Amino acid sequence: MNLELRKPTMKDYYTPTECTWCDGCGDYGIWSAIRLACTELEYQPHDVLLAFDIGCHGNMSDKIGGCYRVHGLHGRILPFAAGAAIANPKVHVLAAGGDGATFSEGVNHLVHAVRSNYPMVFVLHNNGNYGLTIGQASALTPQGMVMNSSPNGIPEATINSMDLVFSLAPTFVARGVSYDIPHMTALLKEGFKHKGFAYIDILQACPTFNKQMTNKWLRERVYKVEETAGYDPTNFEKARKVAVDTSEKIAIGLLYTAKDPRPNFYENLVPRKGKTTTIVEEVGKQDVTELMKEFM
Amino acid sequence: MSRVSFRIVGASGQGINSIGDIVSKALKRSGYNVFGYREYPSLIVGGHAGYQFDIGEGNVRSPAILLDAVLALNYQGLTRYFAPSANAAQYLKDGGYLIHAVENWKFSEADQKYIAEMRIKVIFLPIHVMLKELDAPLVLQNVIFAAFLWELFGQELPLLQQVVKEQFVKKPKLIDINLKAAEKGFTFRPEGEVPRITLPAPKDEWKDHLLITGNEAIGLGAIHAGVRMYTGYPMTPASSLLGYVAKTQNATGMVIKQAEDEITAAQMAAGASFMGTRAMTGTSGGGFDLMTETVSMIGMIESPQVFVLGQRPGPATGVPTWTTQGDLFLAVHAGHGEFPRCVMSVSDGLDAFHLVADAWNIAERYQIPVILLTDKYIAECLFCLAPFDPSKTVIDRGNLVTKSEELSALKTEDRYRVTDDGISPRWVPGSIAPGYNANSDEHTPDGTVTEDSKPVRDMMRKRMRKMETLERALPEPELYVVQDAAPRLASLARGDQQDLDVLLIGWGSTKNTVLDVLEELGKASNAGKAGKVGYLHYTYLWPLKVERFKALHARAKRTILIEGNYQGQLGVFLREKTGIEIKERLLKYDGRPFFFEELRDALLAPTLSPVHA
Repeated sequence: MNLELRKPTMKDYYTPTECTWCDGCGDYGIWSAIRLACTELEYQPHDVLLAFDIGCHGNMSDKIGGCYRVHGLHGRILPFAAGAAIANPKVHVLAAGGDGATFSEGVNHLVHAVRSNYPMVFVLHNNGNYGLTIGQASALTPQGMVMNSSPNGIPEATINSMDLVFSLAPTFVARGVSYDIPHMTALLKEGFKHKGFAYIDILQACPTFNKQMTNKWLRERVYKVEETAGYDPTNFEKARKVAVDTSEKIAIGLLYTAKDPRPNFYENLVPRKGKTTTIVEEVGKQDVTELMKEFM
Repeated sequence: MSRVSFRIVGASGQGINSIGDIVSKALKRSGYNVFGYREYPSLIVGGHAGYQFDIGEGNVRSPAILLDAVLALNYQGLTRYFAPSANAAQYLKDGGYLIHAVENWKFSEADQKYIAEMRIKVIFLPIHVMLKELDAPLVLQNVIFAAFLWELFGQELPLLQQVVKEQFVKKPKLIDINLKAAEKGFTFRPEGEVPRITLPAPKDEWKDHLLITGNEAIGLGAIHAGVRMYTGYPMTPASSLLGYVAKTQNATGMVIKQAEDEITAAQMAAGASFMGTRAMTGTSGGGFDLMTETVSMIGMIESPQVFVLGQRPGPATGVPTWTTQGDLFLAVHAGHGEFPRCVMSVSDGLDAFHLVADAWNIAERYQIPVILLTDKYIAECLFCLAPFDPSKTVIDRGNLVTKSEELSALKTEDRYRVTDDGISPRWVPGSIAPGYNANSDEHTPDGTVTEDSKPVRDMMRKRMRKMETLERALPEPELYVVQDAAPRLASLARGDQQDLDVLLIGWGSTKNTVLDVLEELGKASNAGKAGKVGYLHYTYLWPLKVERFKALHARAKRTILIEGNYQGQLGVFLREKTGIEIKERLLKYDGRPFFFEELRDALLAPTLSPVHA
């Protein structure tokens, strides 16, 4: 690998490790869009940390090369990635998780990540089921749908993910579809440029286990808000309404970005005001002579 | 007079801590070696709480049972400490003082008889009259009580007033009334003859000592060791550690995160440490249960991480504000799968400070999770210690590659390269070097997932070899012995050839009482009574070193295990590793520490009887 700091290309994010997803899986599209976004933003691979949860998408951790990656525990990638982003704000941190990890196992972490406005991008691989464990229901699977381990249809009501996210005062919300790579790339780039928590919902085809939300089904329903006359992504109430209502049409694009976003978690930390170093760079023996005086 | 013990008791929230803090700090500044021990219920207001201070002629590290004085802020405290009872471990000694402010209180006839027999001096402070004269609110009773005690100890008023002033440095308007209250309490003369309490001799060197809790010392140790982030979720007895690093954050620049739960606290710290900082997390047993999946993950991705596990009695919510050593099994077995780890334990305020750096150095050298055990006793007791010596601290980051020429020579497959000692080069995101995958799935040296037989085996062996490397590097447990007639303690580098009459084995905070008792047994008055007693103290509990234990046990007439838990958990591990079963055991599991007299008498007795039935 050439480590000189030249303009990065897609090759810099390449690894020969073969992909193991099903044919037609939405992960291929997201996989391409992430690498494209990093390349187009001219991020050097060593300045990028991609953090993956567990699930089919998580196997992306060794299908992308060059940059730093972590493949964490199920439901827990948000706090891990948030810790990483806080420790070294100079590194671009993107975390990815499925709808099972994000709205079932680790929904508490999502709630607090949005609320805390951590400086990071989050990509929801939203295919409405647990693919890797062969098709069980997630909290985003429509109620009544017959799934593996729910032969009578799932009894629980479905979480409206966008309603939940918007109730937490997000600073950035976008939605894409896994078959539209240029569109996803544009959303990811906007997300990376956002200073707080960028929530990006990707509606993802799962040809093996989700027979309803196919690419064809999605194509018939989605429309791009940026192509809608007069759409103002800084209008919170309007954005929420558009994002939440997927009964007939599904809005994609940059749905909401705060005009004057509140400071991110790190910017809100009083002890870090005016600090130019990261807490990674600051590790070393610290003098505690002054602090000891309190105890004398 | 080897030690003087006094206890302030009452309902939680009545100001017990405030009186205790003022008096203990003033005593220390006057050159007295003072040790503070708190007992309180898990509620904010009410219940029964106590703050006990023991003043010694040498170091004091443990609370006594026999009290010289009790200051009772409410009537419940008045009868609780007369005589040995099921309610309280402590009680007034013959001739002790019982100070209170309960108006129109009448003792029962039986109590009066006991008071007379035991020559207990009951002193009533008309606190409401005094407050009225001062036109002061009830909270001022704390200063009055403190000043009265101060006079009873035969001390000078100005020093106490200086401490009071410092307490109100941020509320200058309150200083004047507090100083007047101090004068009021100091000049109060109770009815009848009240001789002063004679304290052990002060020493000038103690005036500049620190009076510090274990959690404050851990916090200072963390700041000193370059810990730049601390995450936690409130849980006794770890909350006050979170509190201390939070309180000092503007001075230290540390990132503090009170997380939504302990899973988050652990994962955030792990993420930050993975990036190359030192991010610590702390909790108690219940919270640590939630952290255990992260402990396992750290084992797999070979990232350094220190977890502080402050023990309190379980199971479940248990006895939340009391102490135990019941989580050694938990620390050693936490997390699924097999992976290397280090478990070590703080024992007092001094190693609370130094072991944080040590824990981080081990975590970074071996790229493993390190669990630093502490307990409520250490967390909240006040220790009198010489200022910490920073020259002892080393920051060792192990095989962390940071130099650009070394970074550029790295290949992605170096990250988990199979090595003889199991330790691979580590470099962190942001470094100009090839990236790698920190994979919680089993992986090849570059982090790529694998399920093939050979790489799975190779990687397990590589990681577990770090455990062997660590075990070789760790020191054997420390040995303390009683020298005839000289109460000095010797930590012997080569003490394995000792012929001991009694070999005590323990770990954690129990060391405090053991050392106090060893000093006592070394006194001329006790010469020959207990034989030659040694104490083998385990700081490093996993991997477990057993050579010194085996050597000493083989030559000792008696070996006694002393632990603050039901099963004798260290004893179980020692037996597992050596086949030696320690038959004589002193185990305590009622939330209380070993009290001074309790252990002393147990060791002076020819045979061991249980410390509590």
